[in-house]
Amino acid sequence: MVPTSYYVLLSAILFTIGVLGVLLRRNAIVIFMAVELMLNAANLALVAFARERLGVEAQVIVFFVITVAAAEVAVGLALLVAIFRTKRTADVDEVSTLKG
Amino acid sequence: MELLIWLIPLLPFIGFLLNVFVIRRERTAGLVASGMVAAAFVVTLIAVGVLASMPPEERRIVSTAWEWINTGSFQVPFAIMFDPLTAVMALLITGVGALIHVYSIGYMHGDPRVVRYFAYLNLFVTMMLFLVMANNLLLLFLGWEGVGLCSFLLIGFWFERKTAGEAAVKAFVVNRIGDAAFILAMLAIFTYFGTLNFYSEGEGGALGFLERVGDIAGLRVGPNWQPIFVSTAISFLLLIGATGKSAQFPLFVWLPDAMAGPTPVSALIHAATMVTGGVYLMARTEPLFVASFTTQGWVTWIGALTALMAGTAAMAQWDIKRVLAYSTVSQLGFMVAACGMGAYVAAIFHLLTHGIFKALLFLAAGSVIHGTHDTQDMRRMGGLKDAMPVTFRTYLIGALALAGIFPLAGFWSKDEILAHAVGHGHTPIFIILFITSLFTAFYMGRQVALIFFGTQRDPSYHPHESPQVMTVPLIVLAVGAIIGGAINLPVLHWLTDWLEPVLHEQAGEFNLWLALIATIGAVGMGYLGWWIYTTNAAKIKIGGKDPIYRYSGDIWEGMAEAWYLDRLYQRTVVAGFERLSDFLARVFDPQGVDGLVMGVGRFFGGLANSLRAVQTGYVRTYALVFTVGVLLVIGFMLWIAR
Amino acid sequence: MELILFLITALIAIVGAVAMLVSRNAVHSALFLLLNFAAIAVLFLLLQAPFLFTIQLTVYAGAIMVLFLFVVMLLGAEKVEDTPDRIAWQQPLALLLGLALLVVSVVVGLGGATNPPPESEALIQFSDPRTLGALLFTDYLLPFEVTGFILLIAVIGVVVLNQRGRKI
Repeated sequence: MVPTSYYVLLSAILFTIGVLGVLLRRNAIVIFMAVELMLNAANLALVAFARERLGVEAQVIVFFVITVAAAEVAVGLALLVAIFRTKRTADVDEVSTLKG
Repeated sequence: MELLIWLIPLLPFIGFLLNVFVIRRERTAGLVASGMVAAAFVVTLIAVGVLASMPPEERRIVSTAWEWINTGSFQVPFAIMFDPLTAVMALLITGVGALIHVYSIGYMHGDPRVVRYFAYLNLFVTMMLFLVMANNLLLLFLGWEGVGLCSFLLIGFWFERKTAGEAAVKAFVVNRIGDAAFILAMLAIFTYFGTLNFYSEGEGGALGFLERVGDIAGLRVGPNWQPIFVSTAISFLLLIGATGKSAQFPLFVWLPDAMAGPTPVSALIHAATMVTGGVYLMARTEPLFVASFTTQGWVTWIGALTALMAGTAAMAQWDIKRVLAYSTVSQLGFMVAACGMGAYVAAIFHLLTHGIFKALLFLAAGSVIHGTHDTQDMRRMGGLKDAMPVTFRTYLIGALALAGIFPLAGFWSKDEILAHAVGHGHTPIFIILFITSLFTAFYMGRQVALIFFGTQRDPSYHPHESPQVMTVPLIVLAVGAIIGGAINLPVLHWLTDWLEPVLHEQAGEFNLWLALIATIGAVGMGYLGWWIYTTNAAKIKIGGKDPIYRYSGDIWEGMAEAWYLDRLYQRTVVAGFERLSDFLARVFDPQGVDGLVMGVGRFFGGLANSLRAVQTGYVRTYALVFTVGVLLVIGFMLWIAR
Repeated sequence: MELILFLITALIAIVGAVAMLVSRNAVHSALFLLLNFAAIAVLFLLLQAPFLFTIQLTVYAGAIMVLFLFVVMLLGAEKVEDTPDRIAWQQPLALLLGLALLVVSVVVGLGGATNPPPESEALIQFSDPRTLGALLFTDYLLPFEVTGFILLIAVIGVVVLNQRGRKI
């Protein structure tokens, strides 16, 4: 049986890659993907802990996370499309009219 | 009866409200305003009739509407009263007031703000009635300030003219000095008597302070090395209040400038009623004044000095209204001096007759101004007696009455004051007042000659007689100026008897020799004035000097400037204040206050400017900062769990 | 055996994630992310969570990734990063922060005490989807319903956001 710590390590690596994706990429859709990657990393850690403690509740939470993530992706992508329609770009750096 | 006396001030007040909120048309405004004051006059007549039917010692009706101020021991009812003194004042205010309202319909015709004018005028009558009908000092002060406000509004009625606005402010500010003293007097009275009521409220009520003046007999106040009697302190403060309102030395400077207002206003407020408020106050609080020998001396001398100063100033004026203004100050000086000598009945008598014939003179002067298309400089007049016969005749009657020619109203009242001065040993006062009365005759002779005799010196206008709505009030007032003296003829002394319950004075003796000399002197001086200015009429040039200037030299200049009192204030108080204002406006405000305010603004503006760089608008930068924050939080938690 | 399977799957997951991070083309990124999701699904299976494995594949790999690909292609936003980065200075900083985050999360994740391996009997009970289903429709009924409602709102929101001819 693979120790839980391995999974946690993997989860940490994936999460970091997700953070880097948000910080480094400019394509709004890719940034969005990186966010999804972070969610998955968190899910992975959660399921790993669930197995260690035999807690089915954690699986329930993951189930909800996935569901809400689906809703979130739908709305988020709709927002991106709306922004694209006015700005004609998916570059987040172009959407900087709120600068002081 | 109580309802009846409330009607007297309320009728003009209703007129005021109607004029403010309802009426929009000039004609209605004039009719309603005049009608309300005339109705108040009728009500006053009825009230006087009721009062006369009561036994003399019970002739006082007090009516409390509600508790006005009720805080602990300080209780002031909104109470008015009606007694013989109030009655004669109310008759003068509503009677002369109604005539002036009617006259105003003609005089103000065509002015763009007539409705407002009548609203102010009605408010003035209301406030003046509260002043004379108040049963406590605070309500009197309400009226006192109310008439001051109306005076301010009406002097500055033609506010498009800079002089009018400035004169209004000047009148208001100068009156503040007197009013401050008035308030101090009120505080002192409350401190020592515990009430501001003049008389008890009805049967069995607590006594008012005028009925308990004995309480402060011999009481002293002030530092040990120089204590003064409380009665002196209070009455002196009241005297300062009266000098402000009644335009006495040294505060009379506002009244000549107040002539910038419409002429009927000058007649009503600045001749017949408001300026007599100070005299009324002194007569009303007579027990306080009589209690202080010191103050009485001051009152007498201030009155006499004012009479002489203003009388000489009136001689050297060219403006038709300024002559009358200084004359008013001079006559008020007579009244104040009479109060000082204890001749309160004579003072009130002169107040009443003066109110009638000075209103007549002002209205006639207004008629002259009206008929000569707003000419006020007498050097541009002359020979108007044929063009304006009614105005001329009524003016002549007014002038003779003011000069004190037998048997017109002014003769009797002035003679009573002079007789009192002689009879009670006030010889220096008598001499001053007698000389002033001769001057009075002289400047009236001069004025009549300048306006109505000779030839018209400025041919640029065609004089015409005023409409009937203006001349009828003149005729009525002229009749009053002729027979007005009858109310206190030497043998009958009706007024003295009528006022006896209030002023407790016995009729003075009639001094035949004095009357004879005074009349001869007045006729002589009046003729002299008339003669000089008719024979020298050719030498008077528009903008030129007075014929007498050649002989008198610069004294005449001093008289024309009212002995430079105004200029003294200008150079000391006003100039200093202007310097201070200038400093505040040019240095303190832009650099001090603005500097502080702007500095605070600039500081935060700069701070914000340097901080706004943080807001790049790049979402990824925010995410970076966010990550830093997350790391810090996790780091902190690790450090805690260590 | 299980460890080898885990290592291979983990490697695929990391490779997929890194490839997603570095691909210049958004379509490639999406496909690599799909690979990563599939690997994570397999890891769920290894973690005795067969139900989540199915969900992961159908919802994430199936629905969500298809949506991503669809939007990328709809907008033609495969390559938006051809222009020079205006805030390039933050790239090294981001890498540094990423490293720090990794260190911190490893420290945190491995800091907890480890339990003894559970008995196989209980593990079977745990991995049974019926257990999860029973829990969903009893104790977590309200959140379940609320989630359904959220999905409904999401649908309405998407329709409203992309209505034509109307200012939002």
